[in-house]
Amino acid sequence: MNDLAQTPVAPIVSARGLRKHFGRTEILHGLDFDIPAGRIYGLVGHNGAGKTTTLNALLGLTSYEGTVRVLGEDPYQKRAALMKNVAFISDVASLPRFLRVRELFALLTNIHPNFDQAKARGFLDGTDVKMEARIKNLSKGMIAQLHLAVVMAIDAKLLVLDEPTLGLDITYRKRFYRRLLEDYMTEERTLLITTHQVDEIEFMLSDIMFIRDGDLILHMQMETVSSKFSQVLVRPDQVAAAMALGPIYSETRFGQTAMVFDGVERERLAQFGEVTTPTLSDLFVALMQRGPAK
Amino acid sequence: MNSLVALIKREYLEHRGAFLYAPAVILIVLTVILIGSLFSNRFHMAYEVGAPSALKFFEVGFLGVSMLWAIYLLAALFFYYADAFSADRRNNAMLFWKSMPVTDFKVLASKMLAGMTILPALIYGALLLTAVLIYFTALAGTLVLPQLALPGILEFVSSAVQIAGYVLVALVLALLWYAPFFAWVGALSTVFRRWSIPLAFLIPGLVGLAENLVLDNAGGPRGGYVLDFLRRRFHFGPDERDLMPTIFADGPFNATTMIGRLVAGIDWSQMVGGLIVASLLVYAASEYRRRSLAT
Repeated sequence: MNDLAQTPVAPIVSARGLRKHFGRTEILHGLDFDIPAGRIYGLVGHNGAGKTTTLNALLGLTSYEGTVRVLGEDPYQKRAALMKNVAFISDVASLPRFLRVRELFALLTNIHPNFDQAKARGFLDGTDVKMEARIKNLSKGMIAQLHLAVVMAIDAKLLVLDEPTLGLDITYRKRFYRRLLEDYMTEERTLLITTHQVDEIEFMLSDIMFIRDGDLILHMQMETVSSKFSQVLVRPDQVAAAMALGPIYSETRFGQTAMVFDGVERERLAQFGEVTTPTLSDLFVALMQRGPAK
Repeated sequence: MNSLVALIKREYLEHRGAFLYAPAVILIVLTVILIGSLFSNRFHMAYEVGAPSALKFFEVGFLGVSMLWAIYLLAALFFYYADAFSADRRNNAMLFWKSMPVTDFKVLASKMLAGMTILPALIYGALLLTAVLIYFTALAGTLVLPQLALPGILEFVSSAVQIAGYVLVALVLALLWYAPFFAWVGALSTVFRRWSIPLAFLIPGLVGLAENLVLDNAGGPRGGYVLDFLRRRFHFGPDERDLMPTIFADGPFNATTMIGRLVAGIDWSQMVGGLIVASLLVYAASEYRRRSLAT
């Protein structure tokens, strides 16, 4: 399922026939996708579906088969050069723990040509992260704030976040995403994010990709999702009639039956009960249980 | 260039325990020991074995502790390389450093260079501070043992400069000579992490054993070509029997003569070959680091 239009400008990320093997096991089965500039992409899938492997391929962290271009470059061959314009958080615990915050910023000033120390310090204003603090003494939430401050202070065209809020409490998670939207995103920047807490990022996404067992089973803009998929809370006496329209997912809970439909007009569905747009997590559950969408 | 210097500084920040704090503690311990020596009969012994003046006491002491600091440095560097090349993986910081616009070769080269520059420089600084301690101990010794001749300050300074210069040249040459060994344990560390320490000895040992047991070594050197090569390659510097008469000679220490003998005794083709091997090992390690999964 792919509603990609032909983009007139070169995409930020382009993958054609992206495959990855670990030993004899094929993890990615030939992914094809483009990510245009200025979009916020969510990449969602079960554990082991291939999300991190896909991101690792895009970031030049692992070899692959097929063709991948990030900002026009082969990421595996040009990782170091690419990182001038690509920032990523793959693990919030990955900051060097032996450094103080001040030492980290001083090093980055000399290592990364697009890192702005003043911006990073500004992002930390109002947080509990102090410049003299040793990173190993910071809490997990503070380390996440620090890492986010670091990547937001890098003037990058593409920001990749792989489970950036894993293990953080709800307060930190909400603050993290709000900061990202308010202080970082511009039309020139592209964000690719994976998380298990899809409902928390749904509000900010412009596009969504679902990956299942190494295949992309959904890739579309969020506006298209809301026009294409519908969820109906079916009245008990209408269940049989609604089932006749072929829902992609049906679940009965506390006596109420919820069905998710793909490509059925809302006017037709309204006769069965209340029609809404499924949340991403509902849609994810629905699509994970059927074959690739037609 | 800025990024390379910053990466070398990172090595200093990460490993300053072994190269700054530990030497500082050793210096404190040495101070206590040297003060203690004033209250023992060590000065009498020094006088009796051929240190007729406080200057000779200073020279012998300075050269002696230089030898100890050199041993400390080489041992610390061995463990540094065994740790540093895999430290990013061990610290779970690999993904962070991979997000920086620096190649894996540059990262590992910075680790190699840190072990050849800033870290030995710190130990050399500690060595010079030790010389100051020995100087004051020698001065105090003339009070304890009046028969020790007290030279002028200029003679002390001249002697200190001569020895410091000789030790500096010897250390630089020793580091270059042993660079392939450091690169070897570093490259092993990239793959095997802490197991690089036993493997650094086990692998050449097994190769030497295989040569002796499997191949016909008739007519070859005792112990086989591999072990004979390693034995010669591990040796650096003039023979101790040549050094002692020079050190205990009546005249002041002459760095020019000693450096000349040191340089003449080096197999320069081995030195250059070793540096090429060290570079290749760092390159191979960086390719492994680039290709292995980041976590």
